[in-house]
Amino acid sequence: MQPSNFPTFFSITESELDLNDLLAKITLPSTGAAAIFAGMVRGETSRWRRGRHPAQAKRGEAHETAFLEYEAYVPMAEAKMKQVAEEIRERWPSIEGIAIVQRIGKLYPQTPTVLIACTAAHRDTGVFDAARYGIDRLKEIVPIWKKEVGPNGEFWVEGEYIPKPGE
Amino acid sequence: MNHIKVLLFATLRDRAGTKSLEMEIPDRATVQGLKDQIGRDYPNLKEAMGTVLISINREYAFDEAIVPQNAEVAMFPPVSGG
Repeated sequence: MQPSNFPTFFSITESELDLNDLLAKITLPSTGAAAIFAGMVRGETSRWRRGRHPAQAKRGEAHETAFLEYEAYVPMAEAKMKQVAEEIRERWPSIEGIAIVQRIGKLYPQTPTVLIACTAAHRDTGVFDAARYGIDRLKEIVPIWKKEVGPNGEFWVEGEYIPKPGE
Repeated sequence: MNHIKVLLFATLRDRAGTKSLEMEIPDRATVQGLKDQIGRDYPNLKEAMGTVLISINREYAFDEAIVPQNAEVAMFPPVSGG
């Protein structure tokens, strides 16, 4: 099959994420493996690995989260998701299908917020690394933000990555 | 002059108390010039102009870039999706 026929699916949605539906969209007759990353809201954080800003240092302590509120700059976020998918295909040409979905709005602990799925003919094609790359890049360049709300108040979570020209 | 719309997200929107700004900027103004003008016109946003990320027509833009006519500009903090 030609790479141009390989499915790429991306979306920003307020609806519940449906893993089966997503997998069906990126499964071809030649597909034999999928690597799926799902991120969810963590209700209890025992420690935080970053603490650069005063606001984040506070978050660095063990804390509870009531919910996260996500927002996106939707048209740019869709364009950047497409770019992430293109970067994955450059690095791992054997990847068949790619799905990148971010849920936005108010999301409670134990709820999936993001899904990155890559499919390939076999598991030894880089499919695990490709999904890992996808979530790492989403967290760097896709314009989505979250506000954390808990017993100690509200904090915007700020990333650390500064995009470079061409990104 | 160039009429532009500046979309604000996350902390920038909270500080400004509005989702977007309509602005007149000089022709061939740079991103740095735009940030300077916002710092003067909107005191609540001045401090944020040092670390803000900027996009022009949905691509990341940097200080020396010229803001095109009728651009869709957005300002926001480093992203935190996932």
